[in-house]
Amino acid sequence: MDFEEQSTVQEIAAGAPGEGLVVVLGSPDAESAALVAETLSAGDPTFAGPLAGVPLGLRSYHIFEPEIEAQIDGDVYREQVGFMSDVLDRDAIVVAVKGVRERPQ
Amino acid sequence: MGKPLRVVHYVNQFFGGIGGEEEANAELRVVEGAEGSARALVQAMGDDGSLAATIICGDNYFSDQNERAVAALTDALRSIQPDVVVAGPAFDAGRYGLACAQVCKVASELGIAAVAGMDAENPAVEMYARDVMIVPSGAAPAQMLSVLEAMWALARKLGLGEARGPAEVDGYIPTGERRPWVREEPGSKRAVDMLLAALGGREFQTEVPYRAPERVSPAPPLADLGRATIALITSGGLIPKGNPDGAAAAGGPRYYRRSIEDLDSLEPVHWEAFHVGYFTEIVSGNPNYVLPLAQMRELETRGEIGKVFDSMFTLAGVGTAVARAKELGQGIADELKDGGVDGVLLVAT
Repeated sequence: MDFEEQSTVQEIAAGAPGEGLVVVLGSPDAESAALVAETLSAGDPTFAGPLAGVPLGLRSYHIFEPEIEAQIDGDVYREQVGFMSDVLDRDAIVVAVKGVRERPQ
Repeated sequence: MGKPLRVVHYVNQFFGGIGGEEEANAELRVVEGAEGSARALVQAMGDDGSLAATIICGDNYFSDQNERAVAALTDALRSIQPDVVVAGPAFDAGRYGLACAQVCKVASELGIAAVAGMDAENPAVEMYARDVMIVPSGAAPAQMLSVLEAMWALARKLGLGEARGPAEVDGYIPTGERRPWVREEPGSKRAVDMLLAALGGREFQTEVPYRAPERVSPAPPLADLGRATIALITSGGLIPKGNPDGAAAAGGPRYYRRSIEDLDSLEPVHWEAFHVGYFTEIVSGNPNYVLPLAQMRELETRGEIGKVFDSMFTLAGVGTAVARAKELGQGIADELKDGGVDGVLLVAT
């Protein structure tokens, strides 16, 4: 995530306390997806950006995950996302994001 | 416990919190205390280290304005007088890796202990592993804190003036230096244990790593030689008579590009060879031996090739380190591509 994105999410999170905010990612690979999920949960693990040491505690999902797909009209999902799941390593991405989300806090 | 070591952390524009690629031209700057990823180093050091300053520099600036960057770095280190410099980790970022390695080299030359971190495959490793302590970091920036902890373990040791142990003990990329060292078990037992592991399909740690030569895929053959532009290159040390540019006879730092646009042949009155690897009198008698311009002009006239490229490239290749040769080759390739060259006749000796 670039630093501006980290600041933007930090502002949004400040205005939405409690469990009401969830992140949906479209990252194209497992490593970048896990890095964003980690940054928004426990803080920027590279310590480079504004979220260094700032655990927002946000839960991230990936657009590939069934819980998210289930909430989107099938035609819309197929048109906007469907082809990418053929190109990208869908399983690895889902495992990576889920791994961050379900890690004991 | 003694006084904490005084530490400087070098980071690039991203890990210094300035910005991404758009800030890669950021000038070298010194920030008091911890900035960006230096905050992770502070955590890693605990009470053993005190961060005096974070030195931040854009990757492009360090590369393109190298003299100025190194001068500013040297001034900063002389002023701050740290006990140890930590640079990176650069992970798999090439320019950043080169900068980190050079920062450590500069620090070492000033008598300051220094440790860099980067992925073992970073291009800087091949160039600098002999001279610089490099801790392998892998390629995942999410591992920043654990990598800095590993870097600090070595940096602290060196900062305290302790002698480093073998690479496999102290966790740095081998420098190629060999020192006498006593292992716990005799070589005969270690060798048999390795053999049993190999036969049993179990992992083992070799004490003599094999470095395979790089396999380079050849370019596909030219489809239409009769329309192709062919460039001539020689590693035979061809130079203008008298060596006006002071070209090296072996392992030189650069190649030379010379115009042959108006030449049909290379005449001995104008050209000679300067190369320590073969009997150069042959070429001094007829320079076309090492760069067959006269022969290529005949093929050009007969239409068997499209044309000879207007410039030739020359250097004395003997004794050139592989890493340097790759850089020089890349430089020549870039110029050939800009010139619309289709194929190359490379004459070695």
